[in-house]
Order: sequence, then structure tokens, then C-alpha cells
Amino acid sequence: MARAEPPLAVPARRAVPVRLAAPGRLASSARVAAGLAGLAAAAGALALAAGPGRSTTYAGSSAAGAVLTVCAGLGLIAAGLVICLARRPGRTGDLALLAGVCWFAPVWSAWQDGPPLIPSIAMVAAGFTFPLIVHLVLTHPTGRAGSAPARALAAAVYAEALLAAAALALFREPYFDPGCLANCTVNAFLVRSLPTLARAVEIGDRWFTAAAAAAMIVVCAARLARASWPARQRLLPVTVPAIGFAAAVAAHSVALQRITVEDPFNAALFAIFAIGSAAVALLAIGLISGVARARAERRAVARIAARLDQAPAPGSLQSALAAALHDPGLQIAYWLPGRQRYVDASGRLVPEPSTTGGRAVTRLTRNERTIAAVSHSGAVPGIESQIGPAIRLGLENERLQAELLAQLEELRASRARIVQTADSERRGLERNLHDGAQQRLLALSYDIRLARAAAQADGDTPAETALARAASQTRDILEELRDLAHGIYPAVLAEAGIGPALATLADTAPLPVQILRAEHRRYPAPVEAAAYFAVAEAIGHAAVSLTDEGGRLVVTVQDNGSGDAAPMLAAADRVGALGGSLAPGTAGCRAEIPCAS
Amino acid sequence: MRVVIAEDVMLTREGIARLLTDAGIDVVGQVGDAAALLGAVQVTRPDAAIIDIRMPPTHTDEGLTAAQQIRDGHPGVAVLILSQYVEPHYAMRLLEDHPERVGYLLKERVFDVANLIDALRRLADGETVVDPTIVARLFARKRRADPLDELSGREREVLALVAEGLSNQAIAARLFVTGRTVEAHVTQIFQKLGLTADTGSHRRVLAVLAYLRRPG
Repeated sequence: MARAEPPLAVPARRAVPVRLAAPGRLASSARVAAGLAGLAAAAGALALAAGPGRSTTYAGSSAAGAVLTVCAGLGLIAAGLVICLARRPGRTGDLALLAGVCWFAPVWSAWQDGPPLIPSIAMVAAGFTFPLIVHLVLTHPTGRAGSAPARALAAAVYAEALLAAAALALFREPYFDPGCLANCTVNAFLVRSLPTLARAVEIGDRWFTAAAAAAMIVVCAARLARASWPARQRLLPVTVPAIGFAAAVAAHSVALQRITVEDPFNAALFAIFAIGSAAVALLAIGLISGVARARAERRAVARIAARLDQAPAPGSLQSALAAALHDPGLQIAYWLPGRQRYVDASGRLVPEPSTTGGRAVTRLTRNERTIAAVSHSGAVPGIESQIGPAIRLGLENERLQAELLAQLEELRASRARIVQTADSERRGLERNLHDGAQQRLLALSYDIRLARAAAQADGDTPAETALARAASQTRDILEELRDLAHGIYPAVLAEAGIGPALATLADTAPLPVQILRAEHRRYPAPVEAAAYFAVAEAIGHAAVSLTDEGGRLVVTVQDNGSGDAAPMLAAADRVGALGGSLAPGTAGCRAEIPCAS
Repeated sequence: MRVVIAEDVMLTREGIARLLTDAGIDVVGQVGDAAALLGAVQVTRPDAAIIDIRMPPTHTDEGLTAAQQIRDGHPGVAVLILSQYVEPHYAMRLLEDHPERVGYLLKERVFDVANLIDALRRLADGETVVDPTIVARLFARKRRADPLDELSGREREVLALVAEGLSNQAIAARLFVTGRTVEAHVTQIFQKLGLTADTGSHRRVLAVLAYLRRPG
């Protein structure tokens, strides 16, 4: 549980524990007392409905009315207690408790033989049932109203209920009210009887309530439409009954404008009451199921911690959390403070998680350092408190692993760049030799030939002999240069590929070379160069084969029995730079070069 | 004989042109890249085109591609590729599509004007020219069990000349023997090596080169 955590797991936003301890919340004992008071209110209401309220309350009008009244009211109280005891964030539990108690107020106002204060208070309290349920629904499940219209609506219904209750309490004399039924005699708060004002307030209150109920339906529907799939699943059990309740409230207000006296035996009015009560009972069940669901998720998250000792594969925490929280889109981005960037579990750079598309982002910290940002469905309340110290340790572990993988990837890319630069320099050198020195030597040999022909024509034998020697030397130099250029970077490798280049290599190899090729195709230039130079290095030692094994170019060198020094070690850097491997075996050496292109 | 020369290095191009002109050969065009070469061949209809393998713009194998285009479009025009690479792959690629009237010579060889004239003449006669250095390299290739050991010295000589692209008559003239003798040698050699190609055709050159490059 959140407050039992050691300081190790201080959540990123310190606002969370502060809000948990907010003074507005009732203490545990007060909640239990409120629950007992609710039970008493329910029992008292039943007794009243059976007596003085028999003809003036829905609860007294029929057994069905009594059952509906008690189920809805006690349902709210039970939900409130469950939520409070589960320590869910926000005031949802307190609101449900209060709404449940207020739910019984209309019955209590029928107790005219009792102390005058009780029906008077009940008359006032009855007006707050609707605002409390509006507030409760709009702040479910996070404890905060999600949008500005929702906040405005909640504030407006409270303010109107307060004004209407105050005006009616101070200026309404029940005796002069043509619409009075349950209580036509008692108002302990009456200051002065103003029947016209009271009547106007009652009518205004009804119209306002109808409008507010309609607005609540719109806000709820909009919330459902906007929510992501996992968030909608959380919202549905509470929001759908709430829409039903709001519809009943609106219908009730409109109906009272036409039927002056709220007669519980009127079939239409009773039907509206039945629908509203059933909706409230379902809403209470929805609230309780939400708590049960959260509890199950918390357990599932706790089970992840129990499995952490099995050295999970990178990324397994993300899938485990996604499964536990029923949020397949959940993503964890790990923070690398050195690079000031986020990466995923495999070390790949990812953009900073954002709150677009109805998603929420929770930053998780450990020892006041950010470990990771979790992008999750907007309606998961208190994810910070769910992820306890063990999981944070696991996350930190994955973060370190991701950092390592990111560094490895950078290193690999850097090696690949170095090898590629070296290769392109080799190619440039070969071209320079071909187009420069070789070309000029050719021109020189041409001139020597011309001079030799001239000497021959003049009969200058010594000059001719010297020039013949010069021509022969030029030829030798040309040959050496050609071999040098070919050794630096064979043109055929770049132009025709690894196959023809290896065939040429085999032409001049000091040992017989067996070249097996799976298919005649081109590979990326660095792969071809790595394979070529690996073979070129090995070719002095043994026989070679080259095969394509589905996305990997495999170069194997069979030792010719000489037990010569392990070949291809100088090629290890090249092969490694491409993410390949080079392994000396018993009968030679084997290099694998990834070549998926 | 009328020839076109395609070579991007002016010095070499003019050297070759001068050698040929001195030898009484009519140089009807000198160009520096493949596109100009194709134009010149179209206009002048030469007997042969002498082409540098590496030309602008990419300096890779433009010459080879142009040679293949000329052989496709103008079967009467012989092509002689000049290269600085001892590279059987290029020679064989040239022979693959058009086994006659094509030649692959190392550049330094053409400054010996006798070599150049001889090659051009052979191409004009419908023969094939493969640089002796390439053939020598293939002969020297290391093999586990070398089938060339089965051949007599004279047979090896004949096989090398076949690989260089000479016809039976040309081989006979070179070795001072009769055409019949050469024919008998070639049949014997092909039998020993298990070569199935027609012993008299132009295709035998490619068959022999491919045989010599077999992994063994």
C-alpha cells in the first residue's frame, strides 16, 4: 500500500501523498460512523415509510418502492465504505457515503410527529443527492474531474442546490405550499413566509435540474466517446447507470411541472422513481466492481515483483504491466540521463511519451531520480502507488540494461562507420592508382616504345638495348602496381560482387579453394567487403566455402591439416562491426555476417 | 580497316590512334565516353571499336556495357576491350552474349603495335581474343586433382591457344602444324577434360575458360 512504502519509493509527484492526507477527507472512524448512521437512516426510513410515510413516500407506497429505496441508498453507502477502506484516491468514497445518507432524506421529511428539526433538515438534505452523485460520477475513477465542462457542471449544481435549499428553508412555509405532500406543517428554519418566492424557486430549481441532468448526460457520453478502449472499460460500469439516473432526474423534474403534487401512487412518477433508483443501485455496484478490479490489478502488479528474480528478458516488465493493468497500449520509456533521451527496453531511442490520444504519462522515480516514463490509459488511477519498490528496482535494472544496449548499439554503429570509412578510402586509393600511376606508366611505356622504334630506325643498338630494358622494367612495375591495386580493393568486388571477386581470388590462391554459393546475388557493400577480406586473409591457410544461410552470409575456412595459426582473426573487426560473429573451430574457422537487406 | 577508339585519357587515346595510323589503319573516330562511342559507331560504321573498360561517368564498367550494345545493334562491328584488370570475369561476361568478334586485352599490350594489329585482324576474321595473361593465370590456378596434368605438353599449348580465342587454322599456323593435327588435338583434349562443347565453334572459348575456373 502506498503509505506503507519506505522512502525508497517516493512517487515522482509529491502531490499524491499530500492529496491523500488532505484535511477534507474523513478519518476512518468517521467513515465507519457515517456508515452506521447510514444504516440507521435506512432502518429509520423503513420504519417511517411503514408509518406516517405510507401514503406520501415512494418507499411507503409499495413493497417495490421500499426495496428500491433501500437498495439504492444502502448500495451507495456500501460503495462509499468499500472505496474509503480501499484507500482509493480522491473523495469518491466520501461522496458516495454522503449521497447514500441524503438518499433517505425524502422519507425522513415525512416524520412530522418527531422532532421538528429532523423533517426540516431532511427537506434541505434531499436537494443535495443529485449534486453529490453528479460530483461522484464526474470525478470517477481518478478523483479529479477530467475536463473543464465537467468541473463547471459540478460547481454549478452545488451552487444552485445551495441557493435553492437556503431560499426554501428560510422562506417556504409548507402550509402554504400547494405542492406539499410528505411534510405540510414543519419547517424549523423558517424566517419569513414568502409563498410566491418559494414557488418561483421550486419551479426554477426544477428547470435547472432538468438542464443540469441533460448536461451531465452529454458530458458522460463525450467522456465515453473520447476514452481509449481500456479506459472505456473502466468507465462503463459507472457512467452508463449515471446516464440512466440523470435521465430519470430530468424526467422527474419535467413531470413535476405538469403534476403539481408528487403523488407516489402516480404510475408515471413511480416508474421514473423506479428507473432512477435502479440506476443508482447499478451505479453503486459499478463503483464496487471498480474497486475489486483495481484490487485485482494491484495483486497482478505485485505478482510481477515476485517474478523479478528470474532475470526477465528486456521488455518483459512492459508486457507484464500491460497485462496486469489490462492496458495493451502501455509503454515504458527509460530515461538515460547521460544522453537526455528516452529509450525502450532494447536500447532503441524512442520519442518522449506524450499525453496525446487520451493517454496519460506517469514519471517513475527512485531515490528522486527519474527511471522511466509510463504511457498508459488515462483512467488508471494511482499507477504510481501501484508500482512498488520491488518493481521500481526491476525498472531500474531494465533501465541500466537498456542503457547498456544503447551504448552497445552506438559502439557497433561507430565500428561500422570506421570500417566503412576505411573501405571507401581503400576504393579511392585503388582508383587513384588506376587512374594516376598506372595510366602514367602506360604513357611512359608508350614513349619508350616510340623511342625504341626510333633508335632501331637509326641503327643505334646500345640505345635500343637500354630502351628495351626500360620497357621490360616498366612492364614489371605495371604488373606490381596492378597487383597492389587489386589487393587494396578489387574493382570487381565493387562492380560485380562477392561471387566474381572470390572466383578471381581463387584463381591466384596458393591452395585449391572450394567456393560453394547458395545463390548468385549481391549483398550490401560492407557485407561483401567483410566476406571478401575474411576469405582473402584465410585463403593462404586453407580451403574456403561461402554459403547463404537465410539472412546470414556464412564463410567457413577448413583447415588443411597444417594446424596453422587461426585464420581470419584480422577480419574479426570487420565482421564484428556488422554485428556478425567469428568463431575458431576444431577444423577451421567460421564467420557469420548478417546480410538482411 | 576502319576503327573507332573510345578512351577517356587523351594521351592514351592519341597514342593508340597514332600507332594505328602509322600501321596503315584508318582511325575514323576518337571519343571519350560511351555515349559518344555509340554515336560514332552509328555514324561511321567501322570494322572495329577499341574501347576502354572504365570510362565516364561512373568509371566502372561502361566500356563493357557499350561493347554489348554495339554487338547487339551492329553485328558487323568487332569490339576490343582494353583494360588494366587481369580479370577473367570481365572477359567471360563479354563472351557470354556474343562469343565472336569480341576481344579483351590488357592495356599495356596494345602499345606493342604488332599485338594490336594481330588482335584486330583476328577479330575481323570472326575470331575471339582473350589476353594471354588471363589464360596463363587460369592455367596456373591451384587444383586439388589437376585434370590439366592429364594433358601432354603440346596439348596444353593447344588448349591455351584455344582459350586465347584462336581458330584451329590460326593455332596450326602458330605451331607450324597442319589444321588436321590441331583438330585432332582439340578433340583429344576435350575428350580428356570431359568438355562437351562443339570443338569447332566460337562457344568453345567460353567453355574452356569456364572449365579452367571450375572449383577443383
